Amino acid sequence: MIYLHLLKLLAPEAILVVTAILVLGLGLSGSSGRLRPLMTRLTLLGGLIAAWVLFIYPEDACVLNGMVVLDPLGRIFKLAILVLSMITVILSAASPVRRHFAEYLALILFATVGMLLLAGTEELLMIFIALELTSISLYVLTAYLKESSASAEAGLKYFLIGGVSAAFLLFGLSLVYGVEGTTNLRALLAISPAQATDPLMLAGIVLTLAGFGFKVAAVPFHLWAPDVYEGAPTPTAALVASGSKVAGFFILAKMLAIGFGASAGMAAWSQFRPGWLPLLAVMAALSIVLGNLAALAQSNVKRLLAYSAIAHSGYMLLGLTSATEAGFTAVFFYVIVYALTTIGAFGVVEVVERRRGGSQLQDFDGLYKAAPVLAICMLVFLISLAGIPPLAGFFGKFYMFAETLAASGEGSNPGMLWLVGLAIAMNAVSLYYYLIVLKHVFVAKPVDDEPCKSAACTPVIVVLALVILLLGLFPDALLEPLRAAVSFYTASLNLP
Amino acid sequence: MNDYLLLCIFLAIAIVFPLIPLALAWLWAFFFSPGKPGKDKGAIYECGIESTGAAQVQFQSHYYLYALVFLIFDVETIFLLPFAAAFLKLPIAAFLAMMVFLLLLVEGLVWAWAKGILQWK
Repeated sequence: MIYLHLLKLLAPEAILVVTAILVLGLGLSGSSGRLRPLMTRLTLLGGLIAAWVLFIYPEDACVLNGMVVLDPLGRIFKLAILVLSMITVILSAASPVRRHFAEYLALILFATVGMLLLAGTEELLMIFIALELTSISLYVLTAYLKESSASAEAGLKYFLIGGVSAAFLLFGLSLVYGVEGTTNLRALLAISPAQATDPLMLAGIVLTLAGFGFKVAAVPFHLWAPDVYEGAPTPTAALVASGSKVAGFFILAKMLAIGFGASAGMAAWSQFRPGWLPLLAVMAALSIVLGNLAALAQSNVKRLLAYSAIAHSGYMLLGLTSATEAGFTAVFFYVIVYALTTIGAFGVVEVVERRRGGSQLQDFDGLYKAAPVLAICMLVFLISLAGIPPLAGFFGKFYMFAETLAASGEGSNPGMLWLVGLAIAMNAVSLYYYLIVLKHVFVAKPVDDEPCKSAACTPVIVVLALVILLLGLFPDALLEPLRAAVSFYTASLNLP
Repeated sequence: MNDYLLLCIFLAIAIVFPLIPLALAWLWAFFFSPGKPGKDKGAIYECGIESTGAAQVQFQSHYYLYALVFLIFDVETIFLLPFAAAFLKLPIAAFLAMMVFLLLLVEGLVWAWAKGILQWK
């Protein structure tokens, strides 16, 4: 009964697909305005059941040559992705998407299915298919506002750059398969050193990294990010910035650590050796510098968040260059914290956009007077992004930088100090633009004195801010399960 | 490395081969043919039929939707054919899995139908 077993393993995904079909059916049955709350509730219910089902089959499995893999680490990430998607659904309940709302929800669900599959696979082809399922759903979601030319432009840019990068990724994967003769990541780990430094294999790694670089918006594959963040409906932008990033970094880490584990190379100062480490280090350095400097010049908060996202991608790529168990744990912790923070920030942006009709810096003027709760939440999110204690962003960054340094320092060689130093210097720059936003929120005179009515999604935003604060105070709540899951995973790798 | 050399030679031949007749035609035109361009002479030769109008015309985007719906059946066939060929050897679960697959496709078609995509406007 392999099919039944498969269905059990893929139960969360199956439930989401069924929910999407039900929502689509509801959308056909009547006026979308009246059914809107019902459709949102149905979607949330589906997500809840999927999250519950994730934990009632606690068996670990690896079937179909690694196409479907289930382990504690994957489960943590699946849960994170589900939570982020459901927050996106809550945000979109009052979004500017008026027409075809059922399809909007269904596409969010399909994108979520893609991300869940991405978090639960160790096979190159499956990775590609899951990535495409996610991306294609997100392209449509980006271009969803038919009346807005910015949305259409963003969708087109996202689609074109995404299509090209998918081609790069597929070509890279095909080269890897050509050299090693397997599409299973664990089998790739066991290749010989001669194969690992084969020029074709290195070319495959470069092309694959280009494909993933697009997914996580790292320089020089970042060009779509500012336009998509600005033009897309805000819930879509929130999903692109959070869920898709979590899934992207998780699979990138798996790909590098297992699939390309044998061809890591070296990126420590004056000890460069070909492999993915130096590439990753260069991408990280460029992302950190360009993301932080370009964010200084932005007048739109969504664009600013986009450049900040590019910079954060740089930080996380930096964390991946540690290539140790502890370093990867730090990156996993940080990417989840970052996703929760950024989706919260987008929630505030969404509310402001609805009240004031835009997301320029001026639109945030005097938010503190109009909606003190939201303003304080925004403070928590931005300060956490900037990395100030006692918030979770500080701890995540500190842990990531510390692990990277600890992993690379050998004797008198400064190791990765060059990159970590750059990151810390640029992080100081980032404080400036986050504080500019906060200045508009807290200090600037409000445009109108009428207080905002509390939005439906305010409770969610408050909960997110609390979670960020609590994770900063008690990081072990997330770090311990992650650490256990990662070491469990590494132990399973060493088995014959 | 020998294989790659062969590939390079092949690539070079592949580039040169179509260039030779083009170069010959160009040389012939340069040395022998009188340069008298005219409306008929400069016209595009297409099966002897006179060309009318520009190639860049607008046509309904509806056409693409039709093509996409057609794709549903196309993909269906690709998967159904091997399934039908091996039908007698398959367990009941495989049959169920296939029915789920068909259900998903039919659901797509029903959705498109209900949205009025199959009506030619």
